[in-house]
Amino acid sequence: MDQTAILNHQFTVAAYVITWAIQLGYLAWLGLRWRAQKRNAARTGRNPR
Amino acid sequence: MKKIAICLYAVVTVALMVWGFYQAIYVAPDEQTMHEVQRIFYYHVPSAMVAFLFFAISLAGSIGFLAFRRNRPEWAQISDAWALAGAEVGVVFCTVVLITGPLWGRRAWGIWWTWDARLTTTLVLWLIYVSYLLLRRFAAGPQVQTLAAVLGIFGALDVPIVYMSNRWWRTQHPSPVFGGGQDSGIKDPTMLHAFAWNVLAWLAWGLLILALRYQVERQQQKIAAQQAQDALDA
Repeated sequence: MDQTAILNHQFTVAAYVITWAIQLGYLAWLGLRWRAQKRNAARTGRNPR
Repeated sequence: MKKIAICLYAVVTVALMVWGFYQAIYVAPDEQTMHEVQRIFYYHVPSAMVAFLFFAISLAGSIGFLAFRRNRPEWAQISDAWALAGAEVGVVFCTVVLITGPLWGRRAWGIWWTWDARLTTTLVLWLIYVSYLLLRRFAAGPQVQTLAAVLGIFGALDVPIVYMSNRWWRTQHPSPVFGGGQDSGIKDPTMLHAFAWNVLAWLAWGLLILALRYQVERQQQKIAAQQAQDALDA
């Protein structure tokens, strides 16, 4: 494998990994927010749904 | 029944993502000039398409909020939740576009960034919607939703400019893949299939997190309304 191919491979892997890190990070943040809301609603004794 | 449908949709989405990844990495052939790094295309372009779609949803929600805010408050709140969800998830996808693009450009052009029309208008679009989210997060008062709706409408005006930028102006960014004249389009059917699967997969994924974000916002609105009612009752 020449240097160009190695760099191409590394950049492609970086793009895919970063994409998934952003998407899964956002999903995790949404999940945490959802759980905090549920807990908050349960603590006040009301379910807002 | 609803929970089963959501779980089923999530499973189908994950399967699509895995299939799209397999198509992009293992099935689609190397492009002749850019070789492996061209595979970034299968994540970069679908992310841009989904971002545009969600900014359009944000536009519709913003218009809906302004239209319903006096006569139908419940509809206005639903519209506002869609506007916020569309803007936020759109920013997530636009962020992916703005990171994967320079990674691809560095290998294809030898530079990370250039101030050409396509790249600059995309960055402006991202900045407008980030400012929309900051406004929603930090401003207070009864007019926040109205101001955000107006900003959301103005932000969406940049979407067609981004889309048309490499048609209207000469850019470093490649010419349009679709609808760009006689030479446009993906010639290799395997590449076209890989691209189509990834568009479908990212759309399914985007709709899943959009729906989740919408639900979180609606729940937040109901908690805020309940707290306001409690304050009035006290």
